[in-house]
Amino acid sequence: MIKKISLLLLSICSLTSCVVVKEYEKIYLNDPDMLLSSKKSNKFETSFQVYREAASGANGGKSGGGCGCN
Amino acid sequence: MKKFITLSLLFISAIGYSQSTTTNQNTYKKRVLETAEVDIISSFYTQDGDNASVTGGIGTEELKDIATNFVVSIPLNDDDVFTVDATISAYTSASSSNLDPFDVSSASSDNDDDDRSSFVDYKNLAANVASPWVESSGASKADVWTSLNLSYSHSSDDRNTILGANASFAKEYDYSSIGIGGSLTKLFNEKNTEIGLKANVYLDNWSPVYPTELDSYLDDNQNLNDGYFEGLDILDQNGNTIDKNGVNVWSPFKNSLVDNNSRNTYSVSFSLSQILSKKSQISLFFDLVQQNGWLANPMQRVYFSDRDNYYIGNASSISNYTSPTNTDVFQLADDIERLPDSRFKIPVGFRFNQYINEVVTLRTYYRYYYDDWGIQSSTAEIELPIKISDTFTLYPSFRHYTQTAADYFAPFEQHISTEEFYTSDYDLSEFNSNQIGFGFSYTDIFTKRKIWKLGLKSIDVKFNSYKRNTGLKANIISAGFKFVMD
Repeated sequence: MIKKISLLLLSICSLTSCVVVKEYEKIYLNDPDMLLSSKKSNKFETSFQVYREAASGANGGKSGGGCGCN
Repeated sequence: MKKFITLSLLFISAIGYSQSTTTNQNTYKKRVLETAEVDIISSFYTQDGDNASVTGGIGTEELKDIATNFVVSIPLNDDDVFTVDATISAYTSASSSNLDPFDVSSASSDNDDDDRSSFVDYKNLAANVASPWVESSGASKADVWTSLNLSYSHSSDDRNTILGANASFAKEYDYSSIGIGGSLTKLFNEKNTEIGLKANVYLDNWSPVYPTELDSYLDDNQNLNDGYFEGLDILDQNGNTIDKNGVNVWSPFKNSLVDNNSRNTYSVSFSLSQILSKKSQISLFFDLVQQNGWLANPMQRVYFSDRDNYYIGNASSISNYTSPTNTDVFQLADDIERLPDSRFKIPVGFRFNQYINEVVTLRTYYRYYYDDWGIQSSTAEIELPIKISDTFTLYPSFRHYTQTAADYFAPFEQHISTEEFYTSDYDLSEFNSNQIGFGFSYTDIFTKRKIWKLGLKSIDVKFNSYKRNTGLKANIISAGFKFVMD
């Protein structure tokens, strides 16, 4: 698994040099639906999943603690 | 551990690898947050299933929850933002109510599960209806969870560095939490690359409540003729009333319950976001989470297959005990669940978003999860926002989740008493689930509709239907309102 993670990290890091999009070219990227995070209105949806499933985290939000959940 | 350090170094090295950009310090500095914002999110959640963990892996899982979240973000100046995030969540649970399955009294509003003597008529307990499939009316049937999270962020003049700090407090009847955290975000490549590092510590504390028969037995000096059990017939597997002064009597497997009330969580989160083109971007998330303390839930019963079974209620229903048609006999617990006092979790996930055209956007998410309790899981999610007008967008979504079982899980009556750790909590079992969602959003960038000094910027409504192959079904509807201060 560690190898897979390393490979993924290396792949992502290599992407950092492939293109530079200027601020004035980010009109599509600035669309609210392009946000690289979960929507605020999904807060309680994520919350029930944390209670009902063993896995949590790696979504840019909380990854454990603060409740008697898994 | 060396591998994790290596990984961390590799991740941080991306900072050095990234292209540097000269920023003109004299350019106009836009405020990080132009004006105060208020978000209000409410949800209604229902679930039902047949594997309640409070009653050892069988029984009704019916639960209803209403929650509301208020988030107020206030710009302190051009660079700093202070955010207050408060949540209140109230639930009723048939499963939790069976912490004391024999409590049919409505006088339990003192919210004290341990104080049985004030309202329970022990002499009439045998006549009461009790079963894993029937909701009790005891205090544990309902609870309220409240939380408050305060956070502060500071952005550098060039907006390429963001520092953050947060403190959180949470409380429910049997659980409290204090958390602190900090974060650092760096942007590179003309803000095409973003690297984040976040650390959090949660110092949580149980105020444990236990299944009534276990708690009472230990409270009453292990005397089956006193307190909770006074005047109450206990039945064996054949439905015969046992001699409470004899040799073959019910007793808990262990004479100690929770011996460590703390439950601490330490987490470090790395994130890397990268613009791939004018219409696509990706982000990677990588967390390391260590938990220590009492990680089991003291409310959850376990029944061993190698110990004799004892019941309270209708003898003729014992043969039918695991069926939902059983409404009047309840099996006394062997123990509460026991789990290791340490758990290490590694979730890794990524998001990929593609702007397809003016109408459709593709949002995807995948997460792989591993922990040292033997659980591995995969989560895949896709959402396809469809703009149907300047103000309305539809949000169809699908999510698939699968996990392996924890090493310590076994269903009802399948654990044996020689095991060190055991649970019949189906949230730790092997299962997969599918979730279908549909929502819509209304956006008014000009905030024409006003409430006091607040202009309504957007409304989000979403419904999700969740089905697990263990039989659990859940539905949640959420509504979010975003306001900006004039």
